[in-house]
Amino acid sequence: MHDPNAEHRGGPDAFADTQPSTLDLPATGPQRLNVEFTGSGSEYFRIWLVNLLLSIVTLSLYRPFAKARRLAYFHGNTLVGGQPLGFHGDPWKMLRGYLLMVLFGVVYFASGRFSPIAAGVAFVCFALLWPALWRASLQFRLANTSWRGLRFGFHGSLGGAYRSMLPAFLPWLGLILVGMLMPRPDAQSAAPVAPSPWLMSLLGLFFVAMLLVFPLSLSWVKRYQHGHYRYAGEQTQLDAGTGRFYTFALKVFGVSLVAMIVAGIFFAVLMAASFAGGAKGSAPAPWVVPLMVLGSLGMYAIYFALMLPFAQSRLQNLVWGHTRSQALRCHSELKLWPLGSLTLKNLFLVIITLGLYWPFAAIATARLRLSAISIDLDGDLSQWQAHAANGQNDATGDAAGDFFGIDMGL
Amino acid sequence: MNAPDLSAAAPPLATEYFDGQRPVAQAVTLRIDGGDLLIEGPGLSRRVPRRQLRWPERQRHGARLMYLPQHGLISHGDGAGWDAWTSAQGLRDPWVVRWMQSWRGVLWALLACVLLAAAFWQWGVPWAGRAVVAAIPASVDQSIGEQALASFDREGLNPSQLSADQQAAIRRAFAAAVERAYPAAERPAYTLNFRSAGRMKIGPNAFALPGGQMVLTDELAVLLADAPDVTTGVLAHELGHVRHRHGMRTVVQAGLLAGLAGLVVGDFSSVLATVPAVLGQQAYARDFEREADQEAIVVLRANGVRPSQMVVLFDRLSDWRQRQGHGDITELPIAVADHPADAERTRAFRDADSAR
Repeated sequence: MHDPNAEHRGGPDAFADTQPSTLDLPATGPQRLNVEFTGSGSEYFRIWLVNLLLSIVTLSLYRPFAKARRLAYFHGNTLVGGQPLGFHGDPWKMLRGYLLMVLFGVVYFASGRFSPIAAGVAFVCFALLWPALWRASLQFRLANTSWRGLRFGFHGSLGGAYRSMLPAFLPWLGLILVGMLMPRPDAQSAAPVAPSPWLMSLLGLFFVAMLLVFPLSLSWVKRYQHGHYRYAGEQTQLDAGTGRFYTFALKVFGVSLVAMIVAGIFFAVLMAASFAGGAKGSAPAPWVVPLMVLGSLGMYAIYFALMLPFAQSRLQNLVWGHTRSQALRCHSELKLWPLGSLTLKNLFLVIITLGLYWPFAAIATARLRLSAISIDLDGDLSQWQAHAANGQNDATGDAAGDFFGIDMGL
Repeated sequence: MNAPDLSAAAPPLATEYFDGQRPVAQAVTLRIDGGDLLIEGPGLSRRVPRRQLRWPERQRHGARLMYLPQHGLISHGDGAGWDAWTSAQGLRDPWVVRWMQSWRGVLWALLACVLLAAAFWQWGVPWAGRAVVAAIPASVDQSIGEQALASFDREGLNPSQLSADQQAAIRRAFAAAVERAYPAAERPAYTLNFRSAGRMKIGPNAFALPGGQMVLTDELAVLLADAPDVTTGVLAHELGHVRHRHGMRTVVQAGLLAGLAGLVVGDFSSVLATVPAVLGQQAYARDFEREADQEAIVVLRANGVRPSQMVVLFDRLSDWRQRQGHGDITELPIAVADHPADAERTRAFRDADSAR
């Protein structure tokens, strides 16, 4: 059978007229691809520690190499439908991007310490560059990730990146404006000038606006991000409306509120009991302080066991559960309690081992979060073709992604 | 992977090949042929120079992926089988990979990490801090110090209530003491400011800002009104901070520490990265106090004053705190924060009498 695409392929292995043997492809038709994670904590611990030492010895110059190794390990242990993901990133290119970001960082830090104006200028520059860097980081990561030998791609436009960040930026702009209107303290008179009440209420308004806009900006950002992943001829989209993000934010807010109320009642009862117990002016009963400490620890525990994992799991389910393309449909069923108890356990062990448990925690978290995902495939993989121009490969973006803590939401 | 070229005799490895164009696995065999890797399957023969390959690193878990130049990869699910094949070819893992495979090597790495981190902390950061500060022109110190003083004034320091005579007496005594202690070339420039603690609630206190701005509160001047030598000692301590540019070094060293920690471990945990910055800030501040105390001792000795006189300061400050009704914390003497324990410092001043 003649392959009509043979001339597009080129390369030394263009195999003329033969049909390649399809080793592992199941029959066409709907099927479910499960995601499994096979990494091991003890193995990653050794990778991590040697990487850490080499990073210290080289004053962090080894970090891009460490990162490439880490990503290769995590990708190679992520099996989608039984086949691992590949990480193709070239650490030498990543080093170049890393050096550039270190330079940026030093300039930013130094300017912040020595002149408020320079710091402001640097901050504005970063804010203006941020969407472009974010996009470059997504492009790099996706273009260097492969499954079954085919690389992914990220095809969001530059303008789209800026547009998607617009709702996140606007309230800040307003805030800066108000900040500029604030009365300057007078160098001559020692007493500070009180800002006028309407200015203060405007400031409050911006804070409220920022809170209200947050779900909107999250939904725009995620829709841009998950709307431009590409694999072969498939282009993903996120079909979760902004309303869902508001529901998500409301739920998170509700859970936090309940936790706060419970903690508030606990402390109020404690205070009341300690005042009722002793005469006026006398020191509080000896059991109050330990209970206070216990209560504060309990707050931390609630945050890590409930609030944080609640937000994380719901967001992963919301975003990955609604990512689909023509033939692919992702599902995510990350449960709250397994994630909550794992987060709490990880936190505890990381603290008592002074951080040495970290790699084990990272592996366990990846396993839990990845195995919650599955993908429905309705199509014939053997007919799929790599997408023509395979995107950009700018490693600066990758380092930028690190710098800003950008991740894939997984 | 670098290796002597040995064996065309070793058996080929049966594995899967993806051509990078279609997501379809093809059954192939791998063979090393001279300097090339030969990939052969039904209707397929690809020859790739070995130095263009990116060999997978040995690991116990996960598939082995070998990336071919431009496009295509080999995916091998059975790690042990892959390792058996590569070692049969006489290929050896790179040293980093062998190191990561060995628990003993990893434990040595852990020890080395701890020692290196300690060395950076102890010597590296202070040394780099000194070097960076030496490169910063003094005019920067000056403007930072002036800004800081202006902001203190706004936040609540009040103008001094001391009479002009009292101020002049303190100034004169200190200037004379400094003149005797340092030759003209080594004498740091300073500006002595008198302020009342006012709303800042810093009580009897003195501190130095970058660029030589020194502040003495009325409360401390009154507390030491009958002990001019001790007042001079306090100011000499502050001048020590000025002389060694401690204010600038604090900023730079804290930044260096935070930056380094962030670069090295921030990847793994950003919370972990902030710990050394916080601890370092305090540890370095204590070192600076000791250094400044040494300068005070130098100045006092040059003026024929026994350094143990400074004990008066600590006694009176602790009395003062008692009178205020709160035993300790908040009101730290002489500088903004983070002093070594009073007992240790008193001992240092006492010992300075005998040691010569």
